[in-house]
Amino acid sequence: MFVGFFKWWYGDGLNTRFKGIAEQLARVSDFFSIGLLAGTLFSPFRQLSSGAVNSSLEAQLRALFDNIVSRLIGAFVRSAMIIFGLCASLGVVVYGVVVIAVWLLLPLLPVGGALLTGLGRTI
Amino acid sequence: MDGFDYHHSRAVQARAGLKVFNKAVRASLLAAALVFVVLGAGLLLSHSALGWLVVSLAAWPLAALLWHRGALKTVQIRAGSVTGRLESDLVARLPEQVSPKVLGLHVMQCRGGQFFAIRFGISPNFLGQLLSDDTTRTDAVWKAARELADEMKSEEISSAMVTAALIKTEPAVLNLLPHLNLDYSDIESGVRWNKHTAELIQSFSEPKRTGGIARDWSFGYIPLLTRFARNISEQVEGTLGNVKLEAHESALATMMSTFSSGGRQNVALVGSTGVGKNTIVQAFARTLMDPKAQVPHSLQFRQVFMLDPSALLSAAPGRGELEGLLTRILNEAFRAKNVILWLDNAERFLEEGIGSVDISNVLNQVLEGGGLRLILTMDEQRWLQIAARRPDLVTLLNRISVTPASEAETMLVMQDALINLEYRYKVTYMCQTLVEAYRLSERYVGNLAQPARSIKLLSDAAGQARDGFVIVKSLEAAIEQTTGVKVGVARGADEREKLLNLESLIHERMINQTHAVSVVSDALRRARSGVRNANRPVGTFLFLGPTGVGKTELAKALAEVYFGGEQNLIRLDLNEYSQASDVTRFLQAGSTSSTSLTAQVTKQPFSVVLLDEIEKAHPSVLATLLQLLDEGILRDETNRSVSFRDAIIIATSNAGAEDIRAHIDKGEALEQFEASIVENLINSNQFRPEFLNRFDEIVTFRPLTREELLQVVNLILVGINKTLAVQKLSVSVDDDAKLLIVEKGYDPRLGARPMRRMVQRTVENILARRMLAGEAQAGQAILITRADIETIVNTL
Repeated sequence: MFVGFFKWWYGDGLNTRFKGIAEQLARVSDFFSIGLLAGTLFSPFRQLSSGAVNSSLEAQLRALFDNIVSRLIGAFVRSAMIIFGLCASLGVVVYGVVVIAVWLLLPLLPVGGALLTGLGRTI
Repeated sequence: MDGFDYHHSRAVQARAGLKVFNKAVRASLLAAALVFVVLGAGLLLSHSALGWLVVSLAAWPLAALLWHRGALKTVQIRAGSVTGRLESDLVARLPEQVSPKVLGLHVMQCRGGQFFAIRFGISPNFLGQLLSDDTTRTDAVWKAARELADEMKSEEISSAMVTAALIKTEPAVLNLLPHLNLDYSDIESGVRWNKHTAELIQSFSEPKRTGGIARDWSFGYIPLLTRFARNISEQVEGTLGNVKLEAHESALATMMSTFSSGGRQNVALVGSTGVGKNTIVQAFARTLMDPKAQVPHSLQFRQVFMLDPSALLSAAPGRGELEGLLTRILNEAFRAKNVILWLDNAERFLEEGIGSVDISNVLNQVLEGGGLRLILTMDEQRWLQIAARRPDLVTLLNRISVTPASEAETMLVMQDALINLEYRYKVTYMCQTLVEAYRLSERYVGNLAQPARSIKLLSDAAGQARDGFVIVKSLEAAIEQTTGVKVGVARGADEREKLLNLESLIHERMINQTHAVSVVSDALRRARSGVRNANRPVGTFLFLGPTGVGKTELAKALAEVYFGGEQNLIRLDLNEYSQASDVTRFLQAGSTSSTSLTAQVTKQPFSVVLLDEIEKAHPSVLATLLQLLDEGILRDETNRSVSFRDAIIIATSNAGAEDIRAHIDKGEALEQFEASIVENLINSNQFRPEFLNRFDEIVTFRPLTREELLQVVNLILVGINKTLAVQKLSVSVDDDAKLLIVEKGYDPRLGARPMRRMVQRTVENILARRMLAGEAQAGQAILITRADIETIVNTL
């Protein structure tokens, strides 16, 4: 039984924890639409553009300017969201490291407890 | 042979999970962890170093609980041996020595066994009594279970598969399956059903992806669409998908390729109501919103909006306003770049009417441009109408025909539909009910195609559930309630009694004609005992004979005795259908006429259909009856089939009456000349042989004798006494007075018909006078003598 427990704890159990953290990262990435935003970074924001203009040169230049502004605004808003998403992902990674560390040490905690007791440490 | 290995590490772990880590142990471990933490914290707070050890000891019960949850509760499948692949819960329960009987008892405690107990009525007792105790026979069960799992491409050998294998390998169980209205193929489909349900549950627990908060940032704002259309994608996003039907999958694939190609961006789904056009659109919307689905990039996260014509009409009642509004909506949809517009029941957008608008001109331009993605759904009839009216519009559409689901597909759809139905109605459906629902809905649920018609019947039957279970009888009761048709075989003692004594009950209303009465009664008994051909009418009869011999009366008596009253007699005088053009009137749809044959039978399928004086109908009218007599189906003017399969068809004719009378006058018995009468009808071209051949029986009625007419008078008097009973009066007529009535009313050409007239002129008139003169008091029995009758008849 004990062998079975340790085999699972440091084998499939640990693997499951890694998968859980990977899933959380994927969820954060999905929530902040990181992939989508990166793929459409310079697209007009909410299609707020002048579209194709077949008019005077002045009108065309104005439309070009409007479109560039819309794309720049889009790129700015999207970049901000990507940065938020990356920060949240970093948080998940940190949380994942803690979880893995706790997982690795949990069965051995009583040994540590015994050591501290033996050393006579108090709070 | 690879069988169950009790000492296999997986079996040991599974047993540990079930037996060692039972509820009490798990609760104790949790409690111990809490105690260690609280106690340890207390010690630490009181500056005792022992607190570290005590707190840290909580790690072990917690780790044990995590081990149970992660590994022991459901032990992972290991490819290879039976023990490695067997459902974890079952592995945990099995003892070292496993006979089929022991296996049966344990499997019934698992999910798959309980599934068969609830859905199929295969109880633990049923299996326990029939399965063998011989452990050498278990290997055959494992082999069958393994084969079943391989066939279904399942790594796991589920408890449902083991149940099926137990049934398959035990002849005693197989032989008893028909008693439960089952055969082994039903059991196999049950295993598939169980597997599909498990997969649905599994898919529901899988993490969902939505595209995130910035999903629509590259697409335009859609304030008008939000107001005048429903976002279908939003409604179906993340919901469970339906079972994949071949027709739907092919339609979906065509939609994907049409909308991702450079051609005209539209699709018209055409199919009968109920084939699942809306389901296809919803599945399409769901797929586009699923980031995990294989969708072309140009379609990912595109959303389906269903345009609402009523909302459009209420906002823009004038034609100009409407077209203006619509143009703005279509522009918005086009500019947003992520909108697929859906016109459900597209005819509502292509013709003027209540709740509909004609936007075909605007639509034509949009379709020609091909830029905006459009989905139209409509039924075939509407498609044909629109094609006739606007061929230019139809040629611009990419048509996809959606065909009704097959029986096997309908079964799968029903199994999926049960998730909602059972939740909504708080009932449980048996597997046998689904099989029967398909069969019965094919026959009794009109105006819908499969699978919707089966689901409608299942839904109707929920109200007839017994002890929370919807069984076959519930379906029959639902049909009986909605159509009045007695569907199942006669079960109630009253009905059986009535059927067995049908002849005597009919003879309470009519005299003699025993042959005719008996053939009609036999037909009804065959129908209600389930031995008749269900694809024909209950019975088809041609009654030949002179007037006043009881042909019509028999039809009326039958309707009264068995079909719940004379109102269930559908009577058509075919002398009103003597022109070729009358065929149209004969077959008018229920929506345009309430008196045509097809309309009346649609409303009242369980009835006696009396076609009087059939010899006077035009040959074209008779020709339309051929399919009715043969297959019990008649198509109305809209090509909708009307079932006569629960009706008795009685046609009457006076043709050959003179011949019959001549034979009787010669003193011949009916049986001697019946055949020659029919022969003469064919030779004289009154009826064509193929028409007469379609009847189950051609019954010749003979003229009534004077003695029989006396009995007719008695029956009429019984009727008068029933009427008088309200006034607490009764009448009795002397025998010689009755004889006088018969003598004066007798006319060999008119049969019993003058008798009622004669009784009315004599008995009823005498009664009326006495009552008005105050000579008849309540509670009194009025006697009428021959002298009374003579007084009247002498003045006639």
